[in-house]
Amino acid sequence: MIKIENVTKTFGDFTAVDAVNLEIGKGEVFGFIGPNGAGKTTTIKMLATLSLPTEGTLSVGGFDIVRQPREVRRIIGYMPDSFGVYEDLLVWEYLDYFAALYQVEPSRRKGIINDVLELTDLTIKYNAQVMSLSRGMKQRLCLAKTLLHDPDVLLLDEPASGLDPHARIEIRELIRELCRMGKTILVSSHILTELADFCSSIGIIERGKMLAAGRIDEITAALSGNVVIEITVKGDPLAAIQVLEEREDITRATSDGRVVHAEFTGATDDVDQVLEYLINRGVRLTAFTPASADLEDIFLKITRGAVA
Amino acid sequence: MRFSNPILIKEMRSRMRGMRAFLVLTGYVTLLSIIVGLIYLVLSKNAPATLVNQAGIVLTPVLIYVQMGLICLIAPTFSASAVSFEREQQTFDLLIVSLAKPTTILFGKVGAALSYLLLTLFGSVPLISLTYSMGGVSMGDIAIAYLIMIVQGVTYCSFSFLWSTLIKRSVVSQLVSILTVIVLVAAMPALALFFTALSASFTGGPSSTFINVTFLLLRTNPFAAVASLIPGFPMPNNVWLRSVPIWLSQVVFYLLLMISSLYLSLRRLRNARNWV
Ligand SMILES: Nc1ncnc2c1ncn2[C@@H]1O[C@H](COP(=O)(O)OP(=O)(O)O)[C@@H](O)[C@H]1O
Ligand SMILES: [Mg+2]
Repeated sequence: MIKIENVTKTFGDFTAVDAVNLEIGKGEVFGFIGPNGAGKTTTIKMLATLSLPTEGTLSVGGFDIVRQPREVRRIIGYMPDSFGVYEDLLVWEYLDYFAALYQVEPSRRKGIINDVLELTDLTIKYNAQVMSLSRGMKQRLCLAKTLLHDPDVLLLDEPASGLDPHARIEIRELIRELCRMGKTILVSSHILTELADFCSSIGIIERGKMLAAGRIDEITAALSGNVVIEITVKGDPLAAIQVLEEREDITRATSDGRVVHAEFTGATDDVDQVLEYLINRGVRLTAFTPASADLEDIFLKITRGAVA
Repeated sequence: MRFSNPILIKEMRSRMRGMRAFLVLTGYVTLLSIIVGLIYLVLSKNAPATLVNQAGIVLTPVLIYVQMGLICLIAPTFSASAVSFEREQQTFDLLIVSLAKPTTILFGKVGAALSYLLLTLFGSVPLISLTYSMGGVSMGDIAIAYLIMIVQGVTYCSFSFLWSTLIKRSVVSQLVSILTVIVLVAAMPALALFFTALSASFTGGPSSTFINVTFLLLRTNPFAAVASLIPGFPMPNNVWLRSVPIWLSQVVFYLLLMISSLYLSLRRLRNARNWV
């Protein structure tokens, strides 16, 4: 859905984005992580058709952002990291304005405005002045505006920044909801844990360079070399360990009470073979969990070299 | 294409909200009335009766001139921060990523400024009918004067809009727009005077070339255009373009200025992705 090929963006002598490659599939929730000044906003602005790359190509939904900006704009919803709202309008007027700009039929506007207000929990603010909204509400209003034309792709640049904890949780819930609706989402943050629990893939950027990108479990596997499987057994853990060690792709198995930790060197997708094997060998188990390494561990591992 | 411009609607909603628009209009008409009233008082005390009976011949041009002065001051402010303010408030990016075409932005913003301007201009119509009823001026001349004022306002709105797309800070774009108006209406007569004086000092009397240049410069000035409508306006016999009325060439000059401003603004808006 989103494709970035060899993209570089320079401001004078300064390279803000340096030969970045990235591909995000349909329906994925991609977490774009990096410290402040890493080049996240610069990248997202190019995807949002607001600035042009110095080199390379970007496309959204198969449309080139340089040659087909209108087609791209039709399918993206963009929420900037810092933005303003028209303070002197009413909430419904604000949404009506953007619905009209997005060429939503006048007859459908009211219904759609009600829908996005409900989704963002702002229904009671329908007739309120935008000026009177709290920071978190303005953030949700902007998100509501982003959804008016039912875009397939959402580009959310630090949607939770500057919010109090409560408002942060609300925004996160909303993104989760949008994810359930099947949207392709690119969401950036400089705080890793904020994205950890709902992203299907992540990219880590620092000083304009993409240090790692891909599915979370793939990155984990690539970094740690193997997957740790947690198996809760019903019978004797030692017997289970014996059975497990007969396999060549299990390098180590230890037990911790009834829980067995097994290090698996095969591909992440093949852990089901281990499960099938255990059942066939008559090992009775109540839980079988391939544990992905903590996102934070990954982040530290990846950025350690670059920061030092 | 349907005739409904979301930007125009939004601008009207926020401009007309509350008392502001109403107060501006009331203030404008009150100011005009006070000025005309004062002049009438002075006139009726000091002038000979024949003139007082034809007070319109003085009051109508005065009213037009005061209005033109106000247009110079307020027309630029209506659109001089149209884009720069959106950039300052960080609302412009959202406008650009929407499906709003550059023409929609241009006509929405300039259109809103114009409707505001026309509203103020037409606020003065009752006053003009009053001075007209005092006699001395023709309906045709008043119509031409209004045409000059409308074109003047549209032109100022247009190049102020251009400035608002070129300059990032709204205070600066406002200032530059007002300065442009001052240069346009004050610098031309000043230049004309300078030329006349210069030629006079060389030859003991202005040469015909200098007179020609002076009159060409006058043709860019809306105040001169209105003055040329007043009977007795001096026009040398063999000056260039003598058969073309001054007001007509002035209006054409302003229209050209307006069209080029709008064209340049449109090009600038089309290129918004390269702005820094
Ligand atoms: N318009 C610009 N002109 C010059 N430098 C810029 C511009 N925009 C961004 N930068 C620089 O590019 C770098 C990346 O910025 P940004 O993409 O905003 O980072 P992030 O969003 O990851 O915090 C920063 O060092 C910033 O100062
Ligand atoms: Mg940023």
